[in-house]
Amino acid sequence: MSSFMGCLIALQNLGPKTFDWNWISSNLTDEIIPAVIGHIYLSFVSVAIALLISLPTGILVSRYRKAYPPVTFITGVLYSIPSLALFALLVTVPGIGLGPRAVIIALVAYSLLVLIRNVVAGMDSVPEETKDAARGMGLTSRQILFRVELPLALPVIVAGARIATVTVIGIATIGAYISGGGLGELIFTGISRNFPTRVIVGAVLATLLAILADLSLLALERYLRPWARARRA
Amino acid sequence: MIEFRGVSKTYPGSSRPVVNDLSFEVLDGEICVLVGPSGCGKTTSMRMVNRLIEPSEGEILIDGEPNTAMSGTKLRRHIGYAIQQIGLFPHRTIADNIATVPQLLEWRKDRITARVDELLELVGLDPGQYRDRYPAELSGGQQQRVGVARAMAADPPIMLMDEPFGAVDPITRNRLQDEFLRIQGEIKKTIVFVTHDIDEAIKMGDKIAILKEGGILAQYDTPENILAAPNSEFVSSFVGADRVLKRLSLLHVSDIELEPPNGAGDRLPRLSERMNLKDALSELIGADAERAVVVSDAEDRVRGTLSIETIRRLSHQAETKQRDE
Repeated sequence: MSSFMGCLIALQNLGPKTFDWNWISSNLTDEIIPAVIGHIYLSFVSVAIALLISLPTGILVSRYRKAYPPVTFITGVLYSIPSLALFALLVTVPGIGLGPRAVIIALVAYSLLVLIRNVVAGMDSVPEETKDAARGMGLTSRQILFRVELPLALPVIVAGARIATVTVIGIATIGAYISGGGLGELIFTGISRNFPTRVIVGAVLATLLAILADLSLLALERYLRPWARARRA
Repeated sequence: MIEFRGVSKTYPGSSRPVVNDLSFEVLDGEICVLVGPSGCGKTTSMRMVNRLIEPSEGEILIDGEPNTAMSGTKLRRHIGYAIQQIGLFPHRTIADNIATVPQLLEWRKDRITARVDELLELVGLDPGQYRDRYPAELSGGQQQRVGVARAMAADPPIMLMDEPFGAVDPITRNRLQDEFLRIQGEIKKTIVFVTHDIDEAIKMGDKIAILKEGGILAQYDTPENILAAPNSEFVSSFVGADRVLKRLSLLHVSDIELEPPNGAGDRLPRLSERMNLKDALSELIGADAERAVVVSDAEDRVRGTLSIETIRRLSHQAETKQRDE
C-alpha cells in the first residue's frame, strides 16, 4: 500500500530527467543494498517469530476447539488496527520506542491471524481415518503429530506463511516511519526530499522482494507435497 | 486366543450401553466375524481388543493375559489393524506405508525392504511397479490390498479388520475376499473381522457373532450352525429368508459324495466340482434338469453326477442334525 502511494507521489513529480540512474550506481553499496538487507531482515524475523508463536498455538487450538473463537478474536482485533496507528502506539510503550523492535512486534501481530488460521486449517485437513490407522498401528500421540499430522498440514501452513510474508514485506515499508530501516527508508526520504528516484527504487525493490518471496514459498509448498505431484503425473 | 469376559461399554453421559456384557472366545487361527445392524457395537467391541476404546466393565484376555498388561501403544504394535477407509498415509510411499509397524519396532532396513516386497507379492501387487508410488496413484482395490498388507507387516498373531473390503465394488470385494481367505489358509492368524454384511460374514467367518442393537450377543456359532438353527426371531430375520440357500453356498460339489456316472448322456448339463451347491442348484433349475454331470476342473474328467434330490436330502439332513444337537 505504502509502496503504491510512493509510486503515485513519484509519478506526480515525473518530468524529464526525473529518474537519476547515476544515483543508483553511486548509492548501491552504502544505501540500497543495506536497505534491501534491512527489509529482508525485518520481514524474515517477523514471520519467523510469528511462526514460532502460531505453530504451537494453532496445534493447541486445533485440539482444544473451545479456545479457537477467543484466539481468532484477539488476533483479528490485532489484524484490524491500522498499521500506522499500531506503529505509533508501540513507540510510546516504554522499553520499545523507536526502531526495528517496534516494527517487528507490529509485523508479528499482523501475521498471527493468518498463520494460526492456516495451522488450524492444516491440522483439520488431516483425514480422520489416517489418524485412526496411525493410532491403531501403535504410533504414540507425539509420533502421530510429527510423522502424520504436521507433514500433511505443512503445505497448508506454508500457504499461510506465503500470505503473511507478502503482507509483512508490504507493511514493513511503513516501519521506516518509526526508524525501522528497510526499503521504506528510501521511500520516505525520497518523498521528504522530493527526490523521485529514491521513491521509485524503494517501491520497485519492495515489490520485487514480495514477488520473489511469494514464488519461493510457492515452490516450497509444491516441494512439500510430492504425493500431490505424483497424482497429477 | 482372544477372550471377551463380561465386556461392557457405556459412554459417559449415556445411560444405555453400546456393548452389553459380551463374553465369547476367538480360537487361534480362526476368523471371528462380528456382524449386526448399525448401532450394535461391533466396531466398538473390536476396538476394545487393541484398546483404542477402553471397556467400562469386564476384561479382554489375549493368550490368557489381560490386554491391559502392557501399554496401549505397545499392544497395538503387536496387533494388525485394517479399516474400511484404509487410512493410508497419503504423504508416504506404498513401501513406507507397509513398513510403518516394522519401523516402529526398529527392524533392520534390509529386513523391512524384504518384508515389504514379500507382502506386495502376497497381496498381488508387483513390488517393482508399486513400491515407490503414493497411495493416490492406486485404485480403491489396490489401496485396500495395501491396507491389508500394512496390517500384516510385522506378522502379528492377531489382526483386527473393520470392513477391510468395504470401500470397493462388489466384484473387487469378492476377489479380495477370496484372496484373503487363500492367504489366511497359509498364515492362520487369529482375526476379529467386523462387517454389516451377513453374506460376507458367512463367507469369511469360522465363527460368527451376531450382535443386536445395544451391543447384546444374539448368537455365536459357526456359519453352518447359525444358518441351520437360528436361535431367535432376530437372528433368523437377520440372516435372511434364504438361509437354506446360504447354507448350500457353504458346501462345494467336491465336498459331497457323488452318484456314479452310469454312462449318463451328453445331454446332461455339466457342473464344475469347484462350484458351491447353491450355484449348482441354480444351474440345475436353470437348465430344467434333474441331474447334472460333475467334471473336474483340471482335466475335464467326469467325476460323477449330482441330482436335485441329493441336494435336497443333504440340506434336510443338516437341518435335522442341527435341531437334534
